[in-house]
Amino acid sequence: MAYVALSEAEKTFILHGVEEDFRCDGRSRRDYRPMELETGLVSNASGSARLRLANTDILVGVKTEIDVPNPLTPEFGKLEFFVDCSANATPEFEGRGGSDLAQELILSLQNAYESPYAFDYRTLCLIPGQQCWKLYIDILILECGGNLHDAVSLAAKAALYNTKLPRVTATLLDAGVTDLIISDNPYDCTRIGIDAVPLLVTVCKIGDYCLVDPTAEEEVCSTVSMVVSVSMRNNEAYLSGTHMTGGGSMHRDTMLNSIQLGLSMGEQLNNLLVTMLKLEEERVGPKRPNTVGFLK
Amino acid sequence: MQTLREFTRKTKRGNILKIVREHYLRDDIGCGSDLCQYCFQNEVYQLTSNHDVKSSLFKFPHYIVLDTNVVLDQIDVLEEDVLRNVIVLTTVLNEVKHKSSSIYKRFNEIIHDRKRNFYVFVNEHHKDTYADREPDESANDRNDRAIRLAAKWYDSHLQTSQDSKVFERSGRTVTRVVLLTDDAGNRAKAEAEGILVATAADYVKSLEDYPLLVDKLSQKTFENEKQALPQYPPHLSMKEILEGLRHKKLLQGSFQASRENYLEGNVNVEGYEKGILIQGRESLNRAVDGDIVAVELLPESEWSAPSEIVLEEKNVYADDVPSEEREEEEMEMLQQLQAAPVEERTPTGRIVGIVRRKWRQYCGILQPSLIEDTTRHIFVPADRKIPRIRIETRQATKLQNQRIVVTIDSWPRNSRYPHGHFVRSLGPLGNMATENEVILLEHDVPHCKFSEEVLSFLPKMPWTITEEDYAKRVDLRDLYICSVDPPGCTDIDDALHCRELPNGNLEVGVHIADVSHFIRPGNALDKEAAARGTTVYLVGKRIDMVPELLSSNLCSLVGGEERFAFSVVWEVDHQANILAKRFHKSVIKSKRAMTYEEAQAIIDDEAQTGEIAKSLRHLNRLAKILKKRRMDNGALVLASPEIRFQVDSETHEPLEVEAKQMRDTNSMVEEFMLLANISVAQHIAAEFTECAVLRRHPKPPNTNFDPLIKAARYQGFEVVTDTGLELAHSLDKCVKADNPYFNTMIRILATRCMMQAVYFISGSLQKEEFFHYGLAAEIYTHFTSPIRRYSDIMVHRLLAASIGADSTYAQLLDRKSNEEICNNLNYRHKMAQYAGRASVALNTHLFFRGKEEDEEGYVLFVRKNALQVLIPKYGLEGTLYLKSDKDGKDGLERTKSEVIFTFNEEDHTQRCGNVIFHSFDPVTVRLSLDSTNVQHEKLVFKLVIPYIKGFSVETTTELVTPANAQPPAKKSKKDKKKK
Repeated sequence: MAYVALSEAEKTFILHGVEEDFRCDGRSRRDYRPMELETGLVSNASGSARLRLANTDILVGVKTEIDVPNPLTPEFGKLEFFVDCSANATPEFEGRGGSDLAQELILSLQNAYESPYAFDYRTLCLIPGQQCWKLYIDILILECGGNLHDAVSLAAKAALYNTKLPRVTATLLDAGVTDLIISDNPYDCTRIGIDAVPLLVTVCKIGDYCLVDPTAEEEVCSTVSMVVSVSMRNNEAYLSGTHMTGGGSMHRDTMLNSIQLGLSMGEQLNNLLVTMLKLEEERVGPKRPNTVGFLK
Repeated sequence: MQTLREFTRKTKRGNILKIVREHYLRDDIGCGSDLCQYCFQNEVYQLTSNHDVKSSLFKFPHYIVLDTNVVLDQIDVLEEDVLRNVIVLTTVLNEVKHKSSSIYKRFNEIIHDRKRNFYVFVNEHHKDTYADREPDESANDRNDRAIRLAAKWYDSHLQTSQDSKVFERSGRTVTRVVLLTDDAGNRAKAEAEGILVATAADYVKSLEDYPLLVDKLSQKTFENEKQALPQYPPHLSMKEILEGLRHKKLLQGSFQASRENYLEGNVNVEGYEKGILIQGRESLNRAVDGDIVAVELLPESEWSAPSEIVLEEKNVYADDVPSEEREEEEMEMLQQLQAAPVEERTPTGRIVGIVRRKWRQYCGILQPSLIEDTTRHIFVPADRKIPRIRIETRQATKLQNQRIVVTIDSWPRNSRYPHGHFVRSLGPLGNMATENEVILLEHDVPHCKFSEEVLSFLPKMPWTITEEDYAKRVDLRDLYICSVDPPGCTDIDDALHCRELPNGNLEVGVHIADVSHFIRPGNALDKEAAARGTTVYLVGKRIDMVPELLSSNLCSLVGGEERFAFSVVWEVDHQANILAKRFHKSVIKSKRAMTYEEAQAIIDDEAQTGEIAKSLRHLNRLAKILKKRRMDNGALVLASPEIRFQVDSETHEPLEVEAKQMRDTNSMVEEFMLLANISVAQHIAAEFTECAVLRRHPKPPNTNFDPLIKAARYQGFEVVTDTGLELAHSLDKCVKADNPYFNTMIRILATRCMMQAVYFISGSLQKEEFFHYGLAAEIYTHFTSPIRRYSDIMVHRLLAASIGADSTYAQLLDRKSNEEICNNLNYRHKMAQYAGRASVALNTHLFFRGKEEDEEGYVLFVRKNALQVLIPKYGLEGTLYLKSDKDGKDGLERTKSEVIFTFNEEDHTQRCGNVIFHSFDPVTVRLSLDSTNVQHEKLVFKLVIPYIKGFSVETTTELVTPANAQPPAKKSKKDKKKK
């Protein structure tokens, strides 16, 4: 985690703010900072999104490949996460500096996406037992402003929503071998259902209180945080995994409270994200947008 | 400005990738018109107001935008120098390139012709005319839209330029843009968008000054035929064919029509030794010779045997009423086939689809039409494997006596014949130049003049040998080198010498013209020579592989001139055992260029004791030893009837025919050339194990020999074909005292069983396969005729590189590119051979014009309804029909005869009364040229001896027969003179 130097007085100031439910930037404990989201900006990728959460900046690209399904799950496609902590974000990431953080993020995402209820791997299957899509979700951290887990999961979900898989039809060859034929129309695509795709909500314990969306400074003050992954099913929030970070420990009640807080926040976040994505898509239309935005 | 093009592609490994290319849009692409006042024009105006094509459809000056389908279908119209001021969009150019590379090439030539004013407009990169693909739009629709967009843009762009007051004052009419497209959908959309649009056919018809251009329009349909009943089964769709091929239900192969029977053909399929037989019109199902087709194999019970019938299509009329007679004939043939004995049956199939058409342009003549003033005609191709083609032309009377070129456009189900259109005329029938042109075209011989670029690589004249050259080469100018060639030969590429060495041994040298010194690898001259592959010899005409300056002057080892040579020099003892050999480049000065005859005279003349005579005698003696050694190894002596024509120098018409004579000197030169070739082959194969250019002659499969063995067996001889040596011996034994020509005939048959010798690259085959069967040589190549064969140039370069006489270059050692060149050479060689034969056949025809001769001949094959007769004197093979023709069209008087021939299948004989024809029987036939059909003259064989009453020609009643054949012949001559 990015290191922020804070004096004891500063820490006390933040702690008191949390106690008062009035944080340094004026938020309450259940408030998120403003977000900026843009999708489909990397033309080389099958799907992409960029999310800016205050000072946290994440770019996600989804690449696709044809692969052979795992023999134990012949009807499932594959998903792989990769996180790159750019040295742009903080000089500490230089060299292998960010690899621990990247590993942690990958693990928590894998953990959240692991359940078939959280992500329907069946949609990635082309021919059971023979061929399936493999999605590479490449996450690039461009700036660290705290609350990376949440930002990364939001951006990943947006990128998956934006992902367009070329429509593929299978024809049967001799001896049961199948051959794939891709449609020559670049607009003829299939989409990935994202309804159940989980979001991560970091619930951070500062002092005796729990809050969401900690800034980098708040993260320094926290002894322990719980990352709650929230998946939506039938408009209800389900827990698809949890993950603890930080050195401290949590009381059982605090833990339950945290999970409750995470679930309710996750539900809200998810609804907002989906509405925004749909709005954006309506505005842009099926054609590629004129190249404006972050990468231009 | 920039945009992106996205597409998905499947890789070889089965992965699917999304590929994104950056696509730059520019605002500085000129419109190329001299009317324009806005565009930045970077070159000379291509679209000018100097040309004005009058069209009744568009009565104002206009530029033309072509749709892709117009370019693809109407390339012949475009090639005519009529349409000008044409805007070629890159969209169209790319589509054409993608669909047909040959049309792309032709189209490009038109574009590069400055006089034609074809302007290539890069619409795909112009900011106003770029069309991005819309969702739910096929690639084709996008291209159509891009074309419309560009046409529209051009029109409005020109309009703004012509708005000005200055222009109005000039009083000129406004130039518009017209889109030509044959796609009805595109046309409707264009009309809706306000673009001036027409079909290519309508537009061409509307041209007032060029009424004859209409003939060149591609004919996809003839109007009255749309309702006609289908005459052929439908073809399978491409998808069905591919599926069928995958499931092995169908077989794929190239279709070869039979030359003798238009209702028969063969499909060469891998795994079927003799290919798959196709019989009957419906089974042939519109396949044209050369097409790649999909075949369905019939059940074994329906298999049949090749009919040994010679069948020619007759009664072909453009109005296409299937005549009952013809149906009957076809039925009869099929019935006969069903009765074929079981053991002769071969896999038989029917064609269900066409994988790829290999249509080209065909030479031929128009068949005179029965109805006057019709525009619909039947075209008879010169190649008998090609079906008649129906064309529409308004100039039939003009074309009636000309050789013309026609191309096939389509062959719909409901038409008996393919539809085509007239491309161009080659010239009057019977004219030597025209006929030669036909032969060259039909055999795909590149024969246009050498381009300026090619000629620019020739050495500058006067050419002299520099000191540097002398320093690099071995000086052999003092040696008594001489060349021996056929009379009239100007491209002398080999010379010989032989001298006694102080140690008592002999030194023999073969000196080959050093062509690779003049033709440097990779330049235009080299590429042209590689493309031509070989010099083609026609009677009285030579189509050079390299420009004449090289072939007849600088490279040719003419007597008394200093020339560069590549020498192979052996030291041999008097028993012709090679003791040492060396290769080097040299400068020689041939003492004398002799003909075979002259050389023979010198050898035979005891009085001659000069150096040349001595060396010739030595050479001759050594050659005999070499030849004997070769024969003992199992080299084959094969025969093919070869003749020479004495050609009139002015009219180029043949005056006299003579069979080629073999003298000792011929064989002398040949032996040393073989020796040189083998020595070089051994050397380069050892030096370049992967990329040496060699020549091999594979042993034919045993089934190839079947006709030979059968024919010999009827005569009581056993031919053993297991090895070359055994074959050579058994051929030697086939001698009949009463038939001196018998042995030659057997050898002619043996020659026909052989495979083609081919060039190959040493790395592509195992060492055992290098074998040259005919020469019984382990390894062989071509080294001795670089002036007329490109393979020899390649060998020269390899040899030069191996001895350090010349530098190597990357391509020389590149196996793949060498292999490609070899494939081309093999093809060109085959075609050159065929062209040569066709030329001989043509001259034989001309020779017999107005003549009638009785000649001795021999029966080569006995067919069911005919005898194949060989006339050794002319090397001519012809058919003597035994069965009378039903319609008696060319049956002459024998239709009335009651003579009946019975064919015996057991021993292949024809019997009539007490006369029996076997293979190889001597006969005397009367040859005459049947000129009743001015367009299609053919040699007619009529039996003289043995005499069969009512069938043979009456030898005593000379008056009757000439009356039949000669008057029309004379008439035809007069006809020609009138033109």
